[in-house]
Amino acid sequence: MAQKTAAKKSKKITSVLPQVLWRKIGANYLLTNDSGHYAWLKEKDFALVTAGGMTELHPLFAELAVKGFIRNRLDFNDLAAKWKKKNAYLNYGPGLHILVMTLRCNHKCLYCQSSAAGVGDKKTDMNLATARKSVDFAFNSPNPGITIEFQGGEPLLNWEVLKGAVEYARKKSGTAGKELKLALVSNFSLMTEEKANFLLKNEVSLCTSLDGPKDLHDKNRICSSGKSHSDTVKWIKYFQKRCKKQVPEYRVFKPSALLTVSKYSLPRHKEIIDEYVRLGLEDIFVRPLAPIGYARRLWGTIGYDAADFAGFYLKSLDYMLKLNRRGVVIREKMATMMLDKIINLQDPGYLDARCPCGAAIGQIAYNHNGDLYTCDEGRMVGWEGDDIFRIGNVFKDSYKKVMSAPATKVCVVSSNLEAQPACARCAYKPYCGVCPVYNYEVQGSLWGNIPSNDRCGLFKGILDTLFTLLKSPANAEILKKWVTK
Amino acid sequence: MTNITLSVKVNARDYDLDAVRYAAYAVSDAAYVFIKPAVGGVTVEFVPKNAAAKNLNARFKEELKDEKLRVSIFDANRDLREFMILKALAYEEVPAGVRQEDSGLTPEQEKELDALIAQVEGEIKKESAGNKTNDPLGITRTWEEKYGAKNGRKKK
Repeated sequence: MAQKTAAKKSKKITSVLPQVLWRKIGANYLLTNDSGHYAWLKEKDFALVTAGGMTELHPLFAELAVKGFIRNRLDFNDLAAKWKKKNAYLNYGPGLHILVMTLRCNHKCLYCQSSAAGVGDKKTDMNLATARKSVDFAFNSPNPGITIEFQGGEPLLNWEVLKGAVEYARKKSGTAGKELKLALVSNFSLMTEEKANFLLKNEVSLCTSLDGPKDLHDKNRICSSGKSHSDTVKWIKYFQKRCKKQVPEYRVFKPSALLTVSKYSLPRHKEIIDEYVRLGLEDIFVRPLAPIGYARRLWGTIGYDAADFAGFYLKSLDYMLKLNRRGVVIREKMATMMLDKIINLQDPGYLDARCPCGAAIGQIAYNHNGDLYTCDEGRMVGWEGDDIFRIGNVFKDSYKKVMSAPATKVCVVSSNLEAQPACARCAYKPYCGVCPVYNYEVQGSLWGNIPSNDRCGLFKGILDTLFTLLKSPANAEILKKWVTK
Repeated sequence: MTNITLSVKVNARDYDLDAVRYAAYAVSDAAYVFIKPAVGGVTVEFVPKNAAAKNLNARFKEELKDEKLRVSIFDANRDLREFMILKALAYEEVPAGVRQEDSGLTPEQEKELDALIAQVEGEIKKESAGNKTNDPLGITRTWEEKYGAKNGRKKK
């Protein structure tokens, strides 16, 4: 009898909320916490739990307790381990090192953030000494795994130096005891069989831009030859073929492509996705346009607001889910990265959405002359004449000096979500991040004004979409597969 | 100030100034907000920026209500949250090769830290020795220490 009474009493343990964040979406509340867990509550349950009135008998109590939403049921070890996993990047230095081989480009894309120079302007080419010094500098990072990404302009315009940098980096990784990944971002228009063989033998992963069907791609990505789309498609097919015929000597990576959404893309989500599927590409990164570089000047013609992009994104995701149900393998990259945080509670290495942001402490951009910037976007601001995001030079400054440069510090402080009044209170804080460069370019301050910030609106739109889709078991099953390793 | 289209009085007994400030910031996408002292609280004046200023009053009040709840939850959990994050940071494993000999502290900071640790250890020792100033009611002392051993008398 006494035991029964004790059992009854223990069932009456009520809920007290630990630190939580919430967002009302429709009639429901989305609860999140520092460890990255989330739970949906109906309005009456939210009122109950915030008033401390939810008992153990409530059907949601057990779920909320396991996820760390009941204060007197917290599993400290489990939650601390999850927090640690989610924020593992805080222990490493910059992992991504972007080497700008040249600012020259043979394209004149409408939205070009790189603000590229003309093909004849060879003074913006990186020389071999600078490339080697940049590689040396990258290896100074305490990160055990580094990625060197060759970018431009069009990096193939400076092929000999690119080749030299790849060889030097591979040689250096043999003695440095670090894992090295090499990547090339190119429009493929200058690719040859000889270059392709060299890149594949050195295990350089290849990424290009593909904006959809020919007419749309060529409208966004203007090239003097007029065949940007056909060159891109030709080499995507080539590298896919090589990937299928793996050789024992080296690993051939699948080529990947990036989509930049301009105003012209907005009504054409199906055609764009179909083009990716047609070419056998399994991932599509639906990237919004940012008003930085040339895009800023043409914003009125090619830009759009957060609501327009959110609509496009939702339609695209919806269509991809339909294709998945039919057995087609196609994933959206932004969703995959966010889902990795939401479902696997881990950091996918997406530097744009973490706290603090990846500027300097997650990535460094190396300009053609050895100048160092917090990120590629910061480098573009520098190209426009404002060096606020410059953090040093490979020939003059030590790694330590660069990591403690004023621009490094201010980017860390201003992208710390705990110090952003709106972000510190936002349910999406465990998954999101702010961009000081965007804030500076668009709102005139590194901190920006988040309630009126379109990038914030954009991320909120994407996360609203993902969380809403996850409520449906059928959608959740597909989305979880996207991040099952 | 002819542009002012809305003015709301907030009673200081219902909401503290920080909650008012945050709620004002949250609607700053739609309006310039001025917070002015008033009898018993503050007056919040809104100058709309654009068409998004619709339902400003309702939005502001909703934010205010939300913020009040948030403040109470954040306040009640501040220490717990700090403990959790410190615990998580302490759990952090630095992969081989990343660990550095240098603690990142200057010799002066090292000295200061050592002194601080020694001070805390001293205080803990004092407390465990039953320092009366820290335990004026003798709560940490046992019954026997306070009143002597039981005399073994039985109830009649």
